[in-house]
Amino acid sequence: MKRHSNAAWWYVAPALAILGFVGLIPLLSVVNYSFFDIFTLESRFWVGTEWFDELVGSADLYVTLGRSLLFSGLALLIQFPLGLLIALNIPKNGLGRSILLIVLALPLLVPWNMIPGMWLGLIDPELGLLGRIIAGTGITFDYKFNAVHTWLLLLAMDTWHWVGLVAILAYSGLSSIPAPYFQAARIDGARRWAVFRFIQLPRLRGVLTMALVLRIMDSLMIYTEAFGINAGGPGKATSFLALELGEDIAAFNYGPAAARSVLYFLIVLLVAWTMTATLRRHGGTNG
Amino acid sequence: MILHVCRILGLAVLTIALLAPLVQTLLLSFVSTLPRDDIAKGALTLLNYRNLFQDPDLVRSIWASLSYVTTNMVICIVVGLPAAYGLSRYSFVGDRHVFLLLIAFRITPPVVLSLPVFLLFAQVDLLNNPLGIALVHCLFNVPITIWILESFISAVPREFDENAFLDGHSVPGFFVRHMLPLIAPGVAVAAFFCFIFSWVEVVFARILTSTGGKPISMAIEGLFGFQTDVGLVMAMTTLSLVPGIVLVFLTRNYVARGFQITA
Repeated sequence: MKRHSNAAWWYVAPALAILGFVGLIPLLSVVNYSFFDIFTLESRFWVGTEWFDELVGSADLYVTLGRSLLFSGLALLIQFPLGLLIALNIPKNGLGRSILLIVLALPLLVPWNMIPGMWLGLIDPELGLLGRIIAGTGITFDYKFNAVHTWLLLLAMDTWHWVGLVAILAYSGLSSIPAPYFQAARIDGARRWAVFRFIQLPRLRGVLTMALVLRIMDSLMIYTEAFGINAGGPGKATSFLALELGEDIAAFNYGPAAARSVLYFLIVLLVAWTMTATLRRHGGTNG
Repeated sequence: MILHVCRILGLAVLTIALLAPLVQTLLLSFVSTLPRDDIAKGALTLLNYRNLFQDPDLVRSIWASLSYVTTNMVICIVVGLPAAYGLSRYSFVGDRHVFLLLIAFRITPPVVLSLPVFLLFAQVDLLNNPLGIALVHCLFNVPITIWILESFISAVPREFDENAFLDGHSVPGFFVRHMLPLIAPGVAVAAFFCFIFSWVEVVFARILTSTGGKPISMAIEGLFGFQTDVGLVMAMTTLSLVPGIVLVFLTRNYVARGFQITA
């Protein structure tokens, strides 16, 4: 049981001071900007909720939101089952384990702006390792003008990039399950699926929730990698939420960009709140 | 038996799939990709790596990256450890809101805050400076650090703290001499995740280093131009993976020993 003491605020204060400086102050200025028409920072005009009305009133926003949700949903549907499957099959010890953990972490270490270039090199029909194989089968893979192909490429790239995170977190959670749990299950004659469903999965809830929070937001707000592949194209087929915001900023539309940022932060809050509420409901004594 | 073969086969396919883009990069880093007088285009060479180390901007970017990432890790651990301790041991007015705030800031996309962060840092003279990037990356790394360390601290029985305090240690002395050695694996795991998220971030890094102090990712971006030396780009990308690989190797057993995360 935790002890109640408001003096514990002192422990948290330094961390909150830093987050206040790099998070809260910028956030408040964004909220402030979103009510102005900004030419330069010195000459700006109060426009009230005009940017918000414009944004919320346009169908574009909802189309983009749907597009991002679809991408995020597909990415999670691929990456979580795959990541879990990998984690369950990583050897418990030995050289194989070390090699696999390092290989799984490798994609996480590449600077994000390099990833699109790597993949475009990989699928280059003349020079790329994968591109030559695809060309050999006679399929024309046209990520520039075929929206389905762009999506496939983005999903493959995103899965390559992030499945390691899901697998590593899940593996770490699995490793913390005490051995007697499995011995008991074996004595009871439990099947593999039952062991997974009733012993492993419940003990993974914490780490999987963390992985889920990270993956939902990162895939929903994918920016650098998607921009590098096709800059939102063909047409607007891969123009996700963050890309539209990036476009606003690049065009110096600071007022509308700020309004959009505020809206996105509300989405962030909604996701964060849902997650804490879920964790708390299942958290039992730890709440 | 069949299951065992399937498993080995599956892991082999996975390894190949994960390595393919990296192998492509590694191969190209040893190839001369520009027409040059003394060496044929497409020939195998170490030239890219030699050029890399002769370019002062690129060498400087390696130091810039290493210094901001290290600074970021240190800040995160120093402020994260007491915060994790407080959240693990005590309940206090507003603790749930603190937790919500941590998650919210962790998942706020950098692009949402990039402009005001730039304006704020311009006023306090933190532009083009590794410290600026180290600070702004705390936005997502401090919450992660607290989250991970809290799970490790919660595994330490409370009696341990009480005994330590009875021995007459100050609060900082308690953290450094008693708590830190006990949760060293947690610190390693937290440092590993700080590195992963900070080393690769580009949105903040770009907007904060428009004229100088560029980290590796931005230095590579600067190599693209009218006639891009793809070989050099790939050599730099390959090199950028080395510190991470070392860190993963050092922390693999701690990650594998397992940790649980709760709300």
